[in-house]
Amino acid sequence: MSATTSGTSGIAIPLSARSRVTLTVASVLGLMMLCWPLLVRVGDGVSRIDPPFLFLLLLPVVIAVVVAEMSEGGMDARVLAILGVLSAVNALLRLVSAGTAGVELVFFLLILSGRVFGAGFGFVLGVTSLFASALLTAGVGPWLPFQMLCAAWVGLGAGLLPRRVTGRAEIAMLAAYGVVAAYLFGALMNLSGWPFLLGVAVPGAEGDLSFDPTAGALHNLRTFAAYTLITSTGSFDTGRAITTAIAVVVLGPAVLTTLRRASRRAVVVQTAS
Amino acid sequence: MSALPRDLHPVAWWLWAIGLATAASLTTNPLLLLMIVGVVGVVVTTRRTDHPWARSFRFYVWLGVAAVVLRVLWRVVLGGGYPGEVVLDLPEVPLPDFVLGVTLLGPVTREALLAGLYDGLRLATLVICVGAANSLANPKRLLRSLPPALYEVGTALVVAVTVLPQLTQSIQRVRAAQALRAGDTGRVRRLRRFLVPVLEDTFDRSLALAAGMDTRGYGRAGTATATERRTTGALVLAGLCGVVVGVYALLDQTAPRLLAAPMLVVGTLVAVAGLVNAGRRVQRTRYRPDRWRPAELAVVAVGLMVGALGWWLNHHELAIAYPAVTATPEVSLTALAVGLLGLVAVVVSPPPRVQGGAR
Repeated sequence: MSATTSGTSGIAIPLSARSRVTLTVASVLGLMMLCWPLLVRVGDGVSRIDPPFLFLLLLPVVIAVVVAEMSEGGMDARVLAILGVLSAVNALLRLVSAGTAGVELVFFLLILSGRVFGAGFGFVLGVTSLFASALLTAGVGPWLPFQMLCAAWVGLGAGLLPRRVTGRAEIAMLAAYGVVAAYLFGALMNLSGWPFLLGVAVPGAEGDLSFDPTAGALHNLRTFAAYTLITSTGSFDTGRAITTAIAVVVLGPAVLTTLRRASRRAVVVQTAS
Repeated sequence: MSALPRDLHPVAWWLWAIGLATAASLTTNPLLLLMIVGVVGVVVTTRRTDHPWARSFRFYVWLGVAAVVLRVLWRVVLGGGYPGEVVLDLPEVPLPDFVLGVTLLGPVTREALLAGLYDGLRLATLVICVGAANSLANPKRLLRSLPPALYEVGTALVVAVTVLPQLTQSIQRVRAAQALRAGDTGRVRRLRRFLVPVLEDTFDRSLALAAGMDTRGYGRAGTATATERRTTGALVLAGLCGVVVGVYALLDQTAPRLLAAPMLVVGTLVAVAGLVNAGRRVQRTRYRPDRWRPAELAVVAVGLMVGALGWWLNHHELAIAYPAVTATPEVSLTALAVGLLGLVAVVVSPPPRVQGGAR
């Protein structure tokens, strides 16, 4: 039971060189849309900056295009079924754990699945999990595209971790990754909501925690760091990081074995062409 | 228009709501925003079905209220130093140096409160518009209208949505089986003993489902040639690169303007062309597809018109779109049209199908 042989698990959604490049460009694009307050440079005589609401429409298109490009070669029916089932389990975990002060269980299965089924599968699973859970709870909102993208990155990153690490070291690595991912996810989601929730600073107002387009990127980064430190790093993000790490350590070995068994049966590996 | 009760195409409701949300995002005029919220409320109450998702509108309204309250509260907590007429003189609480010398509380001015209120109201209107689309459009039928290139992922989502009730069934079965048997009583062991059978059961079922799908022709690799796939890849990549340049130019206002909006539009169009091209390899038939009938087109036209009018207002009547916090906000004829035109959707759309006959 305890044999965690990672060599036998296949890559569910192989990434061609073209898909990799597309994914990179789209990730840069997504990061730009998340970090726009740090990139803004106003011209002379501009008195008013509004949050670019356009990004809320643009980001879903970008995500759709990337996912289409990744599944472009057609997807095996078994991979498809597992993707659907894991999305449902993730959505259920999110439903169960939502609302209890940062205790979020979504990441735990997402990270383990990304590890077993590969980076491409992790990315798509991040997108579908959040979308399915939003559809089920009717929680589609302006925040959804950003959540989908960040969750997709979490799954992608889990698939990119070194493959050779096995046994206890693997669990330790995944738990550490879970902590990092939880904090990064929190910070990025805060960044996407910051200018919307706090508004854009108006000339003349000082000592505020809101985004100031006339100040430089470094100043805004420090303001944002203070904002995220005060509002969520101590509470929600830490809760999420601890829950993820504990879940990976306690349930990780058993779930990894189950996932690998499923992957051996579901993923057909091409040996020679 | 036909008065026979039927469900409108879900995409039509989404486009209508996006049109209204676009108009709302281009103004901070509280009167205009409240009009839009009112229109959305009327349309939702008259045109929603009695499905479970239709009841979610209330949740979005509360979320909108929370956005407004939060926004104003932030202004009070962090709003020191905003010039204007002081309405509430609170003591200042300086924080330690490592948080950039931020001071909490301090005198609250009427202008600070109003600015927070206007901006919060805009965010709330946006959230409520999306909530309207959520409660009006059937999510299962919406999944069926995904573009063909996303066919596989769409199928996975349909599987996810339908498999969930079975999951609870499987959980009950495992619980019942374990209650009859002795076993580990430690909390961690018990959780593991419970989780593994549930997951195994789910995977077994998903593989059975996959076998069924295989025999029905799902998951075929398609008939695209290497050239076609190269074209798709090139279109997608070129489009995304164009959008990167466009977004950068949009943010950096010192860059040439030609690189901003035109580049964004061209990039998006090229990327979408790639999406369409990728979808051409998928040849599927649909069982009872949702059709676009005059009522759908009319609802979409109403949404687009509201969005376009909102854009016009933002460009030509700046004082009305962004009223100063020192004066009473005013409404012009165009603004009135933006606020109330969305209501036409009630007239042109058919009544919803409600169980137990017409209301």
